[in-house]
Amino acid sequence: MTLISSAIASEAAQASAEPKMDPLHHFEVHKFVDLSLFGFDISISNSVLWMWIACGFAFLFFTQGIKGGKQVPGRLQSLVELGYLFVLEMAEDIIGKKDGRKFFPYIFTLFYFVLFCNLSGLLPGSFTPTSQIIITGTFASIIVGFALIFGFYNHGLHYLKFFVPSGIPVLLMPLMIPIEIISFLARPVSLSVRLFANMTAGHTMLAVMFFYVLTLPIFASWLPFGFTVVFTGVEIFIGFIQAYIFTILTCVYINDAIHMH
Amino acid sequence: MENSAAALIGMGLAALGFAGSGVGLGTLFGKAIEAIARQPGAEAQVSKYIWIGMAFVEAIALYGLVVVFIIMSKG
Amino acid sequence: MISVAYAAAEGQAKSAGVPQFEPSMFEHQIFWSVISFLILLYLLNKHVIPAINELLDVRAKKIEDDLNSAQAARQEAEKVQADLNNKMTSANKVASDVFEQARVEANLHREQALEELAVELEKKKSAAVEEIEVAKKKALADVQSVVVDVAIMATEKLIAKNVTKAVAGKMVEEALQDIEKNKANLH
Repeated sequence: MTLISSAIASEAAQASAEPKMDPLHHFEVHKFVDLSLFGFDISISNSVLWMWIACGFAFLFFTQGIKGGKQVPGRLQSLVELGYLFVLEMAEDIIGKKDGRKFFPYIFTLFYFVLFCNLSGLLPGSFTPTSQIIITGTFASIIVGFALIFGFYNHGLHYLKFFVPSGIPVLLMPLMIPIEIISFLARPVSLSVRLFANMTAGHTMLAVMFFYVLTLPIFASWLPFGFTVVFTGVEIFIGFIQAYIFTILTCVYINDAIHMH
Repeated sequence: MENSAAALIGMGLAALGFAGSGVGLGTLFGKAIEAIARQPGAEAQVSKYIWIGMAFVEAIALYGLVVVFIIMSKG
Repeated sequence: MISVAYAAAEGQAKSAGVPQFEPSMFEHQIFWSVISFLILLYLLNKHVIPAINELLDVRAKKIEDDLNSAQAARQEAEKVQADLNNKMTSANKVASDVFEQARVEANLHREQALEELAVELEKKKSAAVEEIEVAKKKALADVQSVVVDVAIMATEKLIAKNVTKAVAGKMVEEALQDIEKNKANLH
């Protein structure tokens, strides 16, 4: 894992000095190729590379799964169909049958993009793109911004009623409206930070444990090693759950923009 | 030097946020088990919401971690 | 592997910060995450979603067809079963009718036979009675002639004189008549 390699690297770098714990080392982004487009930095870094690898895996998973398109599905095809129906059901449940179908491709892609980015971090020597707050933040702001624009597009200025809670005395309005606006503005922050923090925390925990695996004497080092084995399983689970939460909240926001509460 | 000491203390204090998440998880699972015990037929429905709720509650603890990171990058 | 190389190359050059909050690394990640997402969206939307949709639709249609044909087959089977049941009941009815008829006929035959037998017996009985009557008369006549002879002999011996046959017969007749009379009186 990167975690091992980073631990080894930090040890190698300070072979003479005391080994120093640096669990955030493997979140560092390194540019491989410096590129720029109209003054905009479009360099290719390890984060970008692993994003592509994750996308490639997602695409391969689906194309391999539906290859042949047998009426009696094999294992991979069953898995692909299950994954497809899972997202379809989620979209149709929350957004509604008709609008859910309309937004389904975006939600589907978002779910598998996030899921494969989450899981790619568990491969040895890899990088987790979703552990970068800027990436989750980009997605979260695009989603919430899109929901806002879509809400105004659908309802015109009536969409402003969204920020006025119903069934509240008029006297409380000056208090409630700012709270609603703040909670709306907090949406992209909480959405991005939730995913980023989950991914970062899990991998940091693994890095700390690997540090002890490498530095403790052999009679004690099996303990953190066993923990990392268990925790890798937990990380897979968390990767799924966080992708699910990210997508389900996206559905909820889109639903708010369409149906207004 | 004083600054970095204060940063370390602050980071440690930010980790206290995990306590709240612990209480939340306990309440969540306790109530969920109670609900399932009361109405075993609703287990599938309840357990679906347990996992969603668990992810939310856990994320709250990790906001504390983000605070730690912010202090770390300043210090 | 790449990260190992980089880590080794850069060593501890980076300051002790949080790598995610490094603003110089933001721009290209924003750009590429949007681009990657759009590319993945295009690829999935073009190659995967329609294919899976079609696959599921075809399967749904096939399952529906199968269900329909199964329904039809079931109805057919039910019809056949009903037919069979009808035939069975009618056959049962025919059989019981035949049986009943046979029973009635047998009864009829039996009664006829009994009647015929009774008539025959009656006939035989009356024939026998007639025969007996004739035999009785004949026996009586025989007995009468024997009695006449005996009486003649007895009278001859008794009176030792010839009595003509006519006289003797007259006398026996009288005697028999007396006996008959006595008999009638006795009764």
